Amino acid sequence: MLLELREVGKRFGGLQAVAAFSMTVRAGTIHGLIGPNGAGKSTVFNLITGVLPVTSGEIHFKGERISGLRPSEICRRGIARTFQATTFFREFTVLDNVMAASHLAVERSFVKTLLATAGYRAREAAALARAQDLLDSVRLQDVAGRRAGTLPHRDQKALSLALVLATGAGLVILDEPLAGLTTQEGEDAMRTLQALRADGKTILLVEHDMRAVMGLCDVITVLDHGVRIAEGVPRDIQANPTVIEAYLGAEDTLA
Amino acid sequence: MPPEARRVDGWIGFGVLLVAGVSVPLLTRDSYHLDVATVILRNLLLTMSLRYVMSTGQLNMAHVSFMGIAAYASALLVTRAGWSFWAALAVAPLLAALAAVPMGRVALRVSGPYYFLISFAFLEVLRLVFNNFFVDYLGGPSGLVEIPPPHPLLLTGGAVTFIGKLAQYWLMLVLFLASAAVLIRLECSRFGLVNGAIRQSELLAETLGVNVPRYKLGAFVLGAFFAGVAGVFFAHSQRVLHSSDFGLEPMVLLVVFTVIGGAGSVWGPVVGTLVLAVASELLRELHHYELLVYGLVLMVVMLCFPDGLVALPGRVARRFGWGRAKDGASTLGAGVAP
Repeated sequence: MLLELREVGKRFGGLQAVAAFSMTVRAGTIHGLIGPNGAGKSTVFNLITGVLPVTSGEIHFKGERISGLRPSEICRRGIARTFQATTFFREFTVLDNVMAASHLAVERSFVKTLLATAGYRAREAAALARAQDLLDSVRLQDVAGRRAGTLPHRDQKALSLALVLATGAGLVILDEPLAGLTTQEGEDAMRTLQALRADGKTILLVEHDMRAVMGLCDVITVLDHGVRIAEGVPRDIQANPTVIEAYLGAEDTLA
Repeated sequence: MPPEARRVDGWIGFGVLLVAGVSVPLLTRDSYHLDVATVILRNLLLTMSLRYVMSTGQLNMAHVSFMGIAAYASALLVTRAGWSFWAALAVAPLLAALAAVPMGRVALRVSGPYYFLISFAFLEVLRLVFNNFFVDYLGGPSGLVEIPPPHPLLLTGGAVTFIGKLAQYWLMLVLFLASAAVLIRLECSRFGLVNGAIRQSELLAETLGVNVPRYKLGAFVLGAFFAGVAGVFFAHSQRVLHSSDFGLEPMVLLVVFTVIGGAGSVWGPVVGTLVLAVASELLRELHHYELLVYGLVLMVVMLCFPDGLVALPGRVARRFGWGRAKDGASTLGAGVAP
């Protein structure tokens, strides 16, 4: 088990946003987290990445407890995520975004940076080469010098994925990676995610496009009102009466 | 911009500062001019270090207080403890940085307007301490007087004295260039990138692996150290310290210099400080109405050029379409998203 949520709960005042939620994510899979609006999907992401503290329960990653750690610590252990809204640095160029993300997780000595020692410069050069490779892989190489805030939507999506990959995280958490993309762009994005899985990355995603979720995911967990109502392979989830009822009988969306 | 190019740009800018600084005494020996140039260098040190703190999103209104802490500390170490100026120069900025650690920890518990208010409270509290407490030591409202100038430096070729305006200018220039080299180097390194990331989104930076409070505290403390360097020089060149030297008015001026120049770039405070120094000479006739003009200029800059004067050439270039290849390149058909 790469990631394990054990009876995780989150309470906001009188609202139990997530209740005794358990989920395991296996290494090398694409794992979907679905549920109606307000089910608590984003809260679960925030709990895993330490943006919000858990009220109860524990989260383990690679056998180590990560609940209670700072988000930066969790990132350094190998979990990186995108957000629905701000998910890159708007004022930076595309290249600087990726350079920043590849730097952030690495602690470097203040003195070595100041003196720009040979070792430091070699690592800088290597980081630049890696950043350029990464931009190639998400097809952003031609806009590397452009300010991120001026990019079209699909390039912004690609950049947010590139930032997450630049951290070197093994578990990539994506909040609606396909939202706002055209059919063609969405299919390209799905191929990119499948390529990442083939590279050994593990992906946990929230997505509203059911056809994409069913086609992409190895395992799906369904959340409703902060409670897990189903988990399994896409075919079982599609046939699950509880899931269908949670989506108010909207069978078409699951078909 | 690739890091190598960034570093080259940084050194070119530093080279310009170096050449300009060295050429001042070659162009004029007039003691008034040298005095003005020395004050400009001191202000540059203060605004460049303030901007380093601001680059992490902290508008630290207590920056000038750290100058004060080091100034009073240095004056006391020399007059009361009999230290040499040079020993005090080495230690007093460290004391300012040390004082910044608990203050930064407190201020960083909040952000936005609350951070501004807390740092402003620090400014006022420290000014009142300088003014009203330990009067036997700090001099109280009448000021701390009879601070000696920097002691002669004994070198193999003889003693170098620091009495005249020219010698003080050279000393300030060396202090400024050494500090500027560090600040520019940091800005052009990964630290500049990380600080900028924090300023744009603390949440995103944190989830991408930055321990945000640690970086912000680091910037706060480093800023305090360099403000302290300016403070030591201030104490031994003015030779009198008043609490009002470390109050709201000098602090506001530093912010105005920095913001008018542009807090987004390491060169912004340089431009702002130089432009307003020239303006201040031209406006000398206006006496205290000078501040009124600063206020107006600040409003105009904030409204028309929020990135400061330093960003003006780029804006003009974009307006006329010169910078398109770099900033506005069309991405139509430039590859498909993920």
